[in-house]
Amino acid sequence: MTAIQALPTADLARGECVPIGSDTYNQVLGFLYREASLLDAIKLKEWSALLSPELIYTVPLRQTRPMAQHAASIIRTVQHYHDDYRSIMGRIMRLTETKSAWAEDPPSRTRRLVTNVQVSTTGVEGELAVVSYLLLTRSRFDSPDLDLISGERNDVLRLVDGQLKLIRREVILDQAVLGTPNLAIFL
Amino acid sequence: MTSTRNVLSDGTKIEDLIKVDTREVQMRALSDHEIYDLEMQRVFGHSWLLLGHETEIPAENDFIVRDMGSDSVIVARGKNGQISVSLNVCPHRGMKISTVDAGNTPIHKCIYHGWAFRPNGEFLASPVEKECMHGTMMSKAELSLEQARVTLYGGLIFATWDREGESFEDFLGDAKWYFDILFQRSDKGLEVLGPPQRFVVRANWKTAGEQSAADGFHTLTLHRWLGEVGNYAKSGQEGGADLSPEMIGVEVSSPHGHALRCIDLGRKIRKLTGLDPDVLSVDQKLDALPPPGVTREMVPQLKRKLSEDQLKVLVSMPPQVGGIFPNVLFAFVYIPQSDGTVLGLTLLHAYVPKGPDQLEFVNWVLAEKDTPQELKEKMLRQSIQLFGTSGMVEQDDSDTWPHMTTAAKGARGRKSTLKYQAVYATGAPEGWPGPGIVNEGFTKDDTQWHWWLHWHELMLANA
Repeated sequence: MTAIQALPTADLARGECVPIGSDTYNQVLGFLYREASLLDAIKLKEWSALLSPELIYTVPLRQTRPMAQHAASIIRTVQHYHDDYRSIMGRIMRLTETKSAWAEDPPSRTRRLVTNVQVSTTGVEGELAVVSYLLLTRSRFDSPDLDLISGERNDVLRLVDGQLKLIRREVILDQAVLGTPNLAIFL
Repeated sequence: MTSTRNVLSDGTKIEDLIKVDTREVQMRALSDHEIYDLEMQRVFGHSWLLLGHETEIPAENDFIVRDMGSDSVIVARGKNGQISVSLNVCPHRGMKISTVDAGNTPIHKCIYHGWAFRPNGEFLASPVEKECMHGTMMSKAELSLEQARVTLYGGLIFATWDREGESFEDFLGDAKWYFDILFQRSDKGLEVLGPPQRFVVRANWKTAGEQSAADGFHTLTLHRWLGEVGNYAKSGQEGGADLSPEMIGVEVSSPHGHALRCIDLGRKIRKLTGLDPDVLSVDQKLDALPPPGVTREMVPQLKRKLSEDQLKVLVSMPPQVGGIFPNVLFAFVYIPQSDGTVLGLTLLHAYVPKGPDQLEFVNWVLAEKDTPQELKEKMLRQSIQLFGTSGMVEQDDSDTWPHMTTAAKGARGRKSTLKYQAVYATGAPEGWPGPGIVNEGFTKDDTQWHWWLHWHELMLANA
């Protein structure tokens, strides 16, 4: 097996904690809430305005491993998403500009519940590292069962002209085997 | 054949689930619990099943845990590099021995009562040796983990519970000539680019299995987006590009239910070279468009490993998508890029049955070991973007199969039929060098029909 280099993730240890309730913290929270409401309302083009052209967007696989090898439970070779700004825009184009993106037509009804938000500086001026928990509920067709997708987002946001933009997102999912038939939705 | 074992509890004969003369399959086959239970014995108990690739367990004592039908198995590399496949059930009290997905250990120890086994399944000991927890009635050999028969093909790990059944070579039959073009074409062979993606689809395994046996038609509608904005889109074409030229090629069926769609490369080669592909030699075509994961520098390997006839097929009408019976899809596809080049991808899926209404989609992304790192990374990214969990092509497939499964439960729906009535009447192209049941032209239903016929044969034969 070839070890393909893992992408650099947010190094939270380097930064300083941004206090809960501070102006910066609230601005980040506002960003996450706005993002969730745009995605749940399927306003994908508006959501894309929150993305930086430098975006790297990944969702590693998970494996069940012994406690002693817990770090090995996160797989960053083959992943569920391995995207950048361009490929995310391609996905948005498929979902919004075709008449045949059947995986989301009719669309899922979703709720992105974003909690446990922790913000820190990254050591780079204007950049913030943000950890949050995500519980995404997904309802398809007439099934009364919700697909649940839970995980931890590790984001890096950057202030550009006073606006926060997403430049890095890695979502550490909890399931080794996903309980939803595809990821035709963004996490 | 008239045994009650071939009659379902409501009196339906298994024989009658398929109407051979009109090429129909009763839809109850996609949801019925009784049929599913029989399949686990008669189909999955007797077929060679794909479990992974040897590059997933490169070192001694490496192991992965996989499924053979409804049974969990430990796939482990023991001494001398030998790979064994053991039933992941402790012979003592039935505890699952390995509860993780992968790892490395010289001893697999059951956490319940501590019985210990070697990577090859041999029973080593139980705790407190002198007290002999395992008794004296059975020998240690009898208390070893049940072993499946294992074969490696192009590094792919296949196993079967049928100890006296046919060899893997006979199982592939005529299709082997074509599969060798994909899996046996380079000096060092294929490797996985990481562990497989895994996700659950609430659908019967056969919805995915029969589609893999080379359903060509669905691309036109289910994957319509490819012509609208995807890799096959052309600017200025109202309503999207016509995908139908991609439906033309040669389809290979197999009495063993394997299927290959060999799709014409001519248009791509013409676009890349500006020349008529008919006047180009095999070498010129290989130079213009080497197969997925192969660079121009690696072309001499192809010429060493493959026959002239296999090379001819590879450069003109390569197998791009299809299935290995019962539950494997292969995709060795040539994807047009926005800069006018072509990127080849190599993927394998297994659709693991998880009850009549559920399958686990297991997706491996592969490349040749010799594929340069930069190309591997490009292949990996594009594979993830088009196929598997978030893949823009396959997310539409996995949204379709659950509806078929639900429909097959209806009182009327279960009596409806799946129809495979688009029948080839063409035969093989003139001078076609490969074996098997071969037809040319626009895609038809024959390969999928042969898949069902083999399913039917196994369901009747292994009663």
